[in-house]
Amino acid sequence: MLDAFDKELLKTVADLEGLPKGAYNIRKNGRLLAREVSANIRIESLDDNRGIVVTIKPGTVNESVHIPVILSQAGLNDVVYNRFIIGEKSDVTIIAGCGIHCGGPDPEGHEGLHEFEVGRKAKVRYVEKHYATGPGRGKRSLNPSTRMVLAEGAHAEMELTQIGGVDEANRSNEAVLGPGSVLLVTERVMTEGSQRAVSRNSLVLEGNDSRANLVSRSVIKDDSVQDFFATLEARARCFGHIECDAILIGNGRNETIPSLKAFHPEAELTHEASIGKIANDQLMKLMSLGLSYEEAVNRIIQGFLR
Amino acid sequence: MLELKNIVFSVEDGPQENGGNGGGIRRIIDGIDYAFRKGKFYAITGPNGSGKTTLAKLIMGINPVTEGSILFGGKNITGYSITDRAKAGISYSFQQPARFKGITFRDLLSIASGTEEEMQLLALLRRVGICSLSFLDKPVDSKLSGGEIKKIELATTIARNPKVAIYDEPDTGIDLWTIGPMVNLLKREQAEHGTTTLVVSHNRAFLEVADVVLIINGGRFVYEGDLKGALPLLSDMSICNYKACVRIDDVGCFR
Repeated sequence: MLDAFDKELLKTVADLEGLPKGAYNIRKNGRLLAREVSANIRIESLDDNRGIVVTIKPGTVNESVHIPVILSQAGLNDVVYNRFIIGEKSDVTIIAGCGIHCGGPDPEGHEGLHEFEVGRKAKVRYVEKHYATGPGRGKRSLNPSTRMVLAEGAHAEMELTQIGGVDEANRSNEAVLGPGSVLLVTERVMTEGSQRAVSRNSLVLEGNDSRANLVSRSVIKDDSVQDFFATLEARARCFGHIECDAILIGNGRNETIPSLKAFHPEAELTHEASIGKIANDQLMKLMSLGLSYEEAVNRIIQGFLR
Repeated sequence: MLELKNIVFSVEDGPQENGGNGGGIRRIIDGIDYAFRKGKFYAITGPNGSGKTTLAKLIMGINPVTEGSILFGGKNITGYSITDRAKAGISYSFQQPARFKGITFRDLLSIASGTEEEMQLLALLRRVGICSLSFLDKPVDSKLSGGEIKKIELATTIARNPKVAIYDEPDTGIDLWTIGPMVNLLKREQAEHGTTTLVVSHNRAFLEVADVVLIINGGRFVYEGDLKGALPLLSDMSICNYKACVRIDDVGCFR
């Protein structure tokens, strides 16, 4: 059922050794490969196998859902629409991710739209990793979108990571935050060669006392290009912060545009952004502890993307 | 064991409007010949801008010497990189320690000591007098206080088990109550591990415990001896604390 490539991809994008425990849905080359539900977590296919609806019962705590996607069929562009309904006062982890194994000259791609409805006082952690590998020279593209609506008092953490091998990525993240809700987004992207990645983020703080923190860490190697756009829009008494850092290595290029919009007198929005090479004092410190220049660079990047 | 053979470090001077002398070469270190003896504690002091930190950086290889050579354990290490010098047994505490993103004290301590073993890391914490174990997983980032980051800097320097440890102004940002324990720690390292210790400092606490006080001025050693002998010279220099008063238009000097 799972071949060696599948296993490697699953391990990389979802930290899975074989099939996971608890609820899961594994999609391979546009088709369902394996599924398991639990007493509290329901997974149903949409018509035409376009995607799934994951429904988490109110009050479900300490459960997880794995929904990885793997692609190894040349010329396939898999488009998927997944919906997550997270019940009130539940506390769950959702692990998504897409791994591409490209063996030929034809392009392979995955476009996923993930929509979340996070119920009152529910807590969710969403982890998404993207990775592509294989000897083929076909273009590997990944275009994920997330849309999240947080109800009153909901708490969501999103960790979005693109580890390597992806030639083109167009990401979009949108969220609307209800009263007292909290959203923490961390995005980590590394590009190399002539890869391109664009990330567009738009968070609307609609409820009083909502809080959002958006952190972006980019490592841009060789001739690759990454652009990062982030907008925080405050429509209530709220707090929002954007922190975006980019490290350039080689001829990497980056455009970072944080944007703050306050439409409420008690809105508090801040941002910090930096683009630059690895700081010299960091390199010297690690070299003075016995690491070579290359080892020091790797450790700094590893930490930066951690 | 560590010999400086007529070392010179010079830089191109900037244009006059930026405070330079209108081009030409300025010698920050102006021919230092000195042999540090094994296991001794040296305090290197002198006015601001006299070349203390520059000298320390030349020894660690952070800046390359312009002329002269550096011998360590009989080997010429003048061409060694920072990494090579670290591996040879020289360790360095920066005056302004680097701050990272996503790197913890545990990471730095593991790199410095070459082990990830919990017991060994805890032993290192005890050795440097850090009692709080939660400190180990603190990120070494911009949120640390000046005192905290200096403690981490010291700990990682000692964790190398160096033959020569260089501390550039180790007391910067440290509160008055911590300086005593810090001096004791460096003295204990010297006594128990035979560490040749070079401390760049203005702080009397370090000068008092040094086996040898070295005063640097204008890029040269102008004094070698005990603190008592150094005091008249130091109080004389303290009048002009910015740079050697060599030109009529040196407005920084009121002498």
